[in-house]
Amino acid sequence: MEKSRNTQFAQRVRTGIWQEVPDPENPWLATGARCHGYAQSDMVEHLDYPQTLFLLLRGELPDASQAEQLRRFLVAFCNPGPRHGATRAAMSAAASGTRTIHLAAIGLSVLSGDHLGSGEVERAAAFLVRHRDADPAALAASLTVGDTPARTAGDRRIAPGFGTLFGAVDPHAAGLAAMLRAGAGHWPVLEWGERFAAALHQAGCGWLAPGVAAAVCIDLGFAPRAAAALHQVASLPGLLAHGLEMNRQGPQAMPYVPDEDYEIIDNDDRTLAGDGN
Amino acid sequence: MDSTSIWDERRGRIVTRKGGWRIGEGVRVGRYSLLDDLVGKHGFFELLFLEITDRLPKPEFIRWVEACFMCASFPDPRIWCNQIGALAGTLRCEPLAAVTAGTLASDSILYGPGVGRLACEFIIQAVKEERAGATIEQIVARRTTADGRMRLPGYSRPIAQGDDRVGALCRVAADLGMPDGEHLSLAWRVDAYVRARSKDCLNMLGYAAAFAMDNGVTIDEGHRLFTLLVNAGVHACYSEAADEPAGTFLPMRVDDVEYTGAPPRPLTGDARA
Repeated sequence: MEKSRNTQFAQRVRTGIWQEVPDPENPWLATGARCHGYAQSDMVEHLDYPQTLFLLLRGELPDASQAEQLRRFLVAFCNPGPRHGATRAAMSAAASGTRTIHLAAIGLSVLSGDHLGSGEVERAAAFLVRHRDADPAALAASLTVGDTPARTAGDRRIAPGFGTLFGAVDPHAAGLAAMLRAGAGHWPVLEWGERFAAALHQAGCGWLAPGVAAAVCIDLGFAPRAAAALHQVASLPGLLAHGLEMNRQGPQAMPYVPDEDYEIIDNDDRTLAGDGN
Repeated sequence: MDSTSIWDERRGRIVTRKGGWRIGEGVRVGRYSLLDDLVGKHGFFELLFLEITDRLPKPEFIRWVEACFMCASFPDPRIWCNQIGALAGTLRCEPLAAVTAGTLASDSILYGPGVGRLACEFIIQAVKEERAGATIEQIVARRTTADGRMRLPGYSRPIAQGDDRVGALCRVAADLGMPDGEHLSLAWRVDAYVRARSKDCLNMLGYAAAFAMDNGVTIDEGHRLFTLLVNAGVHACYSEAADEPAGTFLPMRVDDVEYTGAPPRPLTGDARA
């Protein structure tokens, strides 16, 4: 027989982020709001979007180098690009008539993956936090020893955020890392990642974009879960732009694999209907 | 540069064992014709199982699977995934957005299909340990924290102690003539051990994991099969909220939120962009 645990639930929602100012006449209405103590009206007048994002997630305003690095991060990761599965999901949906209001949810759902997505950003961030004090060359050697790439196995992951892209070092990710590391400020996790990626080159591996995103977020003081969220925030404009561009163009606007390139192969026929599972 | 053959071979080309649609010829699901072999002859859950696993299930097993879905479909908007459906209803979202969001919320570390996967991993590993000679006490001890908390996926649930759904599903299995196997047998013995030492016991997800493993379902197959486990409850809560005036499901006054953050402060000097 079930029994209640008599869990003590909160009587009210609690938040340290947002404070609404109640209307003196109608307790259902707010006349204004504060974010971590700052009046929303002042924020509208004086803050830019990276500062606002930092404030929302960290509870304090960024210093100048943090604000500039977050701005660079948001631009660097503004678009996974039209070949990324998340973008293609948004494009495919839009072309096939999906209501535009669903494109963000569709794109972000597919962007959640552990392969080149926000899931990998979170895992890479956790990896960086765990190993940032280790010797990167020694760690790279220990992780690659005995790691023989199988030609049929797709891309390699030496660690989340580090490996191969289409069988090779990703030059775009390496370029993003170099650009972001060059930003004014002290970015020790990015620097550690650079040394780790360099040590992986002998094994044919290097930075992947989620690793770069993770390193920037850790250097900015965000936890791994927040890093994944920031990656989603950064990527959403690109997902939506491609979706909106494709909006209502019709399915013919996207490739459709012709029957001659669609091969249905037989199963190994393990069972007959109804005779087992 | 490594070979790119794995990508070259798949560029603009799909090779599938699942099936597909050839216009004018029909739809294949594995080696079956959807319209000739399956529609009207098999149920939706059999098709779901077939499309996930590439094989048709035993009829009695799939009736048990359907019973599991029913057991996870409470029309109660206090349940977290269902509340998301209700909130979507009161905000006049499309039902697909509502049910998708609510169902997605059940990918949780506390309840739903996510816990089901952990329960599968636990019972499979526990069976291996028992085969290697471990006792129930040793199996549990390996998953007990220094402060005595047993970390056993499938043996506790939020809000309630005990789980009446286990008994209901056991009755279904008995009526269908489906016996316990090695995984469920061990799950019951762990249950007895846990009951004797805490207020927890085998819950539905732990039971379902062991039963599914006993019936030849792999972890990945089970995880995929039970993906939409909670969806009927989300549907219910969405529907009712969508039928009420907009914005009236659990409305909150300003003072229903307790602010715990920084006191009012001015934006000063350097902070200004």
